Amino acid sequence: MQSLRRKSLWLALSASWLLLVLLGVFPLLRLAVPSRPQPGASPGWPRWLDAALLQSFSQPGEPAGDAPPRPQGPRRGSCTWDTCVDTSRCKDGLTVFAYPAAGLTSERHRGVLASLEGSRHLTSSPTEACLLLLLGWDSPAGGCSPGPPLWNAGRNHLVLRLHPAPCPRASQLGQAMVAEASPKVDTFRPRFDVALPLLPEAHPLRGGAPGQLWQHSPQPGVALLALAEKMGRWRVVADIRSPAWGWDGHCEQDPGPEPTHPGERPPNATFCLIPGLRTEAWRFLQALQAGCIPVLLSPCWELPFSEVIDWTKAAIVADDRLLLQVLAALQEMSPARVLALRQQSQFLWDAYFSSVEKVIRATLEIIQGRIPGAPTHPSLLWNSPPGALLALPTFSLSPQDFPFYHLQLGSRPEGRFSALIWVGTPGEVPLKLIQAVAGSQHCAQILVLWSSDRPVPSRWPETAVPLTVIEGHRKVSDRFFPYSAVSTEAILSLQGHVGLSTSEVDFAFVVWQSFPERMVGFLTWSHFWDEARGGWGYTAETANEFSMVLSTAAFYHRYYHTLFTHSLPKAMKTLADAAPTCVDVLMNFLVAAATKLPPIKVPYSKPHLGAAALAPGPGPESQPPDPDCINQMAAEFGHMPLVSSRVRLDPVLFKDPVSVQRKKYRSLEKP
Amino acid sequence: MCASVKYNIRGPALIPRMKTKHRIYYITLFSIVLLGLIATGMFQFWPHSIESSNDWSVEKRSVRDVPVVRLPADSPIPERGDLSCRMHTCFDVYRCGFNPKNKIKVYIYSLKKYVDDLGVPVSSTISREYNELLTAISDSDYYTDDISRACLFVPSIDVLNQNTLRIKETAQALAQLSRWDRGTNHLLFNMLPGGPPDYNTALDVPRDRALLAGGGFSTWTYRQGYDVSIPVYSPLSAEVALPEKGPGPRRYFLLSSQMAVHPEYREELDALQAKHGESVLVLDKCTNLSEGILSVRKRCHKHQVFDFPQVLQEATFCVVLRGARLGQAVLSDVLQAGCVPVVIADSYILPFSEVLDWKRASVVVPEEKMSDMYSILQSIPQRQIEEMQRQARWFWEAYFQSIKAIALATLQIINDRIYPYAAISYEEWNDPPAVKWGSVSNPLFLPLIPPQSQGFTAIVLTYDRVESLFRVITEVSKVPSLSKLLVVWNNQNKNPPEDSLWPKIRVPLKVVRTAENKLSNRFFPYDEIETEAVLAIDDDIIMLTSDELQFGYEVWREFPDRLVGYPGRLHLWDHEMNKWKYESEWTNEVSMVLTGAAFYHKYFNYLYTYKMPGDIKNWVDAHMNCEDIAMNFLVANATGKAVIKVTPRKKFKCPECTAIDGLSLDQTHMVERSECINKFASVFGTMPLKVVEHRADPVLYKDDFPEKLKSFPNIGSL
Repeated sequence: MQSLRRKSLWLALSASWLLLVLLGVFPLLRLAVPSRPQPGASPGWPRWLDAALLQSFSQPGEPAGDAPPRPQGPRRGSCTWDTCVDTSRCKDGLTVFAYPAAGLTSERHRGVLASLEGSRHLTSSPTEACLLLLLGWDSPAGGCSPGPPLWNAGRNHLVLRLHPAPCPRASQLGQAMVAEASPKVDTFRPRFDVALPLLPEAHPLRGGAPGQLWQHSPQPGVALLALAEKMGRWRVVADIRSPAWGWDGHCEQDPGPEPTHPGERPPNATFCLIPGLRTEAWRFLQALQAGCIPVLLSPCWELPFSEVIDWTKAAIVADDRLLLQVLAALQEMSPARVLALRQQSQFLWDAYFSSVEKVIRATLEIIQGRIPGAPTHPSLLWNSPPGALLALPTFSLSPQDFPFYHLQLGSRPEGRFSALIWVGTPGEVPLKLIQAVAGSQHCAQILVLWSSDRPVPSRWPETAVPLTVIEGHRKVSDRFFPYSAVSTEAILSLQGHVGLSTSEVDFAFVVWQSFPERMVGFLTWSHFWDEARGGWGYTAETANEFSMVLSTAAFYHRYYHTLFTHSLPKAMKTLADAAPTCVDVLMNFLVAAATKLPPIKVPYSKPHLGAAALAPGPGPESQPPDPDCINQMAAEFGHMPLVSSRVRLDPVLFKDPVSVQRKKYRSLEKP
Repeated sequence: MCASVKYNIRGPALIPRMKTKHRIYYITLFSIVLLGLIATGMFQFWPHSIESSNDWSVEKRSVRDVPVVRLPADSPIPERGDLSCRMHTCFDVYRCGFNPKNKIKVYIYSLKKYVDDLGVPVSSTISREYNELLTAISDSDYYTDDISRACLFVPSIDVLNQNTLRIKETAQALAQLSRWDRGTNHLLFNMLPGGPPDYNTALDVPRDRALLAGGGFSTWTYRQGYDVSIPVYSPLSAEVALPEKGPGPRRYFLLSSQMAVHPEYREELDALQAKHGESVLVLDKCTNLSEGILSVRKRCHKHQVFDFPQVLQEATFCVVLRGARLGQAVLSDVLQAGCVPVVIADSYILPFSEVLDWKRASVVVPEEKMSDMYSILQSIPQRQIEEMQRQARWFWEAYFQSIKAIALATLQIINDRIYPYAAISYEEWNDPPAVKWGSVSNPLFLPLIPPQSQGFTAIVLTYDRVESLFRVITEVSKVPSLSKLLVVWNNQNKNPPEDSLWPKIRVPLKVVRTAENKLSNRFFPYDEIETEAVLAIDDDIIMLTSDELQFGYEVWREFPDRLVGYPGRLHLWDHEMNKWKYESEWTNEVSMVLTGAAFYHKYFNYLYTYKMPGDIKNWVDAHMNCEDIAMNFLVANATGKAVIKVTPRKKFKCPECTAIDGLSLDQTHMVERSECINKFASVFGTMPLKVVEHRADPVLYKDDFPEKLKSFPNIGSL
């Protein structure tokens, strides 16, 4: 009895609770969740009955006015390229005159000037130069007014300050452009000044300090966040929800960057949280190098090369007032985004910041891009590998002409190639080779580069494709000149006495189409560190790995001819001309520096002859490899760019136990 | 090895025994609940007490009926705009702190009619465009009607055209808005700033800290990173439909269509026309039009009459010259026509220049270089011109063609400043849909060769073939670069063998038990995977030599963004059946590798588990087949690259090779696999697989060279 009553009581109680919940909570929920606008019953902006009758904000026929042209010239200390630069001096593109290092200049000062010497922009005439470059970071004490002879209120001048100077500020430099490390945001003149990175004192002049990112994704178990602390220290944050942020600096109290002290290395973390003070700007570069994604909180300084670099792809710049939201966002960030940010930050480090020379070259490229009519890099070229310094705008302004961007553009390399046959001193017409190459269905044209003392023969074999003879200058570097006669993206570089079959050419070309940015070759060399000599060496001996392919027989993109001719310093090309085996080393260095990848080897049906035997007669390859060459190149590049590979790409059915009739590249099957 | 933990928690008895002395307590409780119920009911059924404030919006009303607000002559005026304002100094970001999903919330003040002391209106109440603009915001995800949760406030006071309003009184009207607070977080839209005679380039209405979305900024008035530069909307966008015209050479190389051009500039244009003849066309307003013809839609050259804006489609380049104002509506018309704008307006901040890359769609010529314009334009390669024509049209379609497009782009820009970690990328802003569709952004784009020392993790998926599994484990453990072995035990009915029975190997061995027998379990991103390289291997693949596996790992290091596998397969187009076909014969080409033995980056496990498009994952688990084909599709689609098949063909134990019951099983299997390819291609909307004719062998494979000197001698043995 009692239990029955108890039961009914409970039943009533729970029923009423249920009702309460149903009736009470839903309207409350409706209040709590901001209602989405629904058509018809929208609580938002009303649909006016007479909306159709409303008048337009601009009445047709309203006079656009005809005020006279505005007075030109700089106002309020602000400058733009159009107002503060005499562009008539820049008709031939960017020509730069660098004031010579005078008086008490440091070793580094001279080093910077020396690194400029290789630049294609440099000119020796100060009166004709578009830009007069003044190195102004360590002028003697009290020498705050630069006042060089042709100062002219700073017009057409670029004051380059790799290190922050105590004086003067950008506004006092009049009409001179200022390229300064970590400039203050409020005095920086966008599209006029250039923001430089704050480099450490001991930054390498050339080559570059390598990035420290060894793998694409963060290691499991690695800390999510490292925090920049005072005195140049870093701290790994265990609990990201309460990171104990010790910074409260504002831009107003910012004393400006000091010469950097090599602080502690950033710990192994995915993100590096850096305060926005200018005194801490040096950490930004440190994080980039370490492969730690920089998280900048309201920086008081302009990010380096912000005019061209899309920093949203490589760093996170957020408002310090929303610190907790930022931390939550970091924690929730998708692996895809983390992966992309990590790689991009490392790419940028390597492309623009790892040496003083790169920083200066990037600065000049940016200024060149402002000259109307001068070739400028599209954003894609700045922001994807290999970077704007290795993708010359003089080659083309269309990214699809380069070998690097087919994926991003959804395009494919063309289906045809040009054979470029170099004929050296004996001057024999390589009949067999011409026939074999012309037999390829992919061959578009044959170019013979005649570099022999003997006169060009008047009779050439009949071929299915056009054959053109170019007379060379008997210099080895001629082989990599960007001849306008080359009409295809792909070049098959050949030397007169190489024996190739049509099958081999066809297969190698099909492989090249999969790797248009690399060199695809038949004959290889490998480099090694010679412990005994304390230097690099290289060998043509048969080995389990290789790092260079010989241009005696190799496919590559024609862009590399432009890069070879227009980006390499004269000294290197002279070196290559003096020691002919060197030219192949140089070309391989160049392509490896651009791609960071090894070349590709394809099978060659006469391997038992060995690479040396392949080049009989007095061709340059017959000479023994010259170890001096590779060491000089490594010194010029500032590092060893070559990468070794242990892979050869063969046809899918290569030497498989299946009928030859099934195989596409039969002539490769011969023992 | 992991031990499984079993949970067996028994809950406490649900209902405690009720004691008499508790009865009063329960009755009280009951009454409270009843009271609450009644209260809620009244709250609920009371005639619309909660939503009554919103009620007026549902019914349609006229603009003329809005409440009138009288502004006293001495009511406060805001400070003039502060030129030093930046987001960090003038914007109260804390108001945006509680917005979910990284989306700012925008509040719109209700419409009022403002009059001065004498009852004279301050401005025309609202223009058609501003009404459209507020409607667009109100219909968007940004909108909130809760003023206390808003991060951005948009006044309904229409300041699109400065000429239609009284400056001081409009400023007073702004100042009396309920959350004005010196204009903090308020956004004003203005397209036609300034007035005669000197036409300022920003709205003259004093507005203190308010953000300005302005249509004619110059470098002097634009506060970079604070204001937003917007287009001057062209009403012709809505009136005239210009169908997209393919890029390519057009009848005129250069055209000028503006009517109010300063005489000095018109002289320059006429000089250009005189010099270059037919290829340049300079138009002016028509003077001798008969009555009734809308003069804004006609342009004349001498006595020749042209339709505007249609004539713009006849030109490759179109001049956009500044008038009294820097921002010109003709820019929108020119873009719509797919004509490349030649912008001649020194110091003009182009619309949305914070995010749009105008170099790709326009040519900017300094005013003093006007006479060189022709030669500057002629130096642009044809291909680049065509690219610019496409880009110009795309900018119009995405950001110019309607007031809604302009409003939403403006809010997106401000949103991205506040939540930069969730910002839209350069490509999303600038790439036309055709480019976006075709382009691939490889998730592993940085060219690097991972260090050999890290090694790889082998993942063996197994059900109950213990003997074969143990053999695989023993074989794989001989590979020098193996760093860990993970056995995915997919059998829920049977426990894995005792710890002591497992082969003793030199690397850690972990067994993961799964909740369900699904093929997808093979590709789960297990926490136990500590290396970047993963070797997926079936529990019956015992024919691969240690050299072959080690070499496979070396190949993966050189191609870390690809699937590197042993048996290769091909997809073919079956012309008779008009669909894809799976091919396992000895072909010269390969487009897939089986994941019964394949190396790949562990990131693809994440992609497979969480980002597989459509219902492919479920399809695979339901059919118990094709997980490898799905993985091939996924990787090819993400990277745009082909697989790498390693080493010569071997006899593999695989369904299509065993053919236990002769041909019939074999054929069923092939039909199923073909079906998978067709199904996946339709889900992906494309065929991402890439066909190649190469495979990877060691450098000296089959070369005439002493075997003992080769790094990988034991390759290809059957």
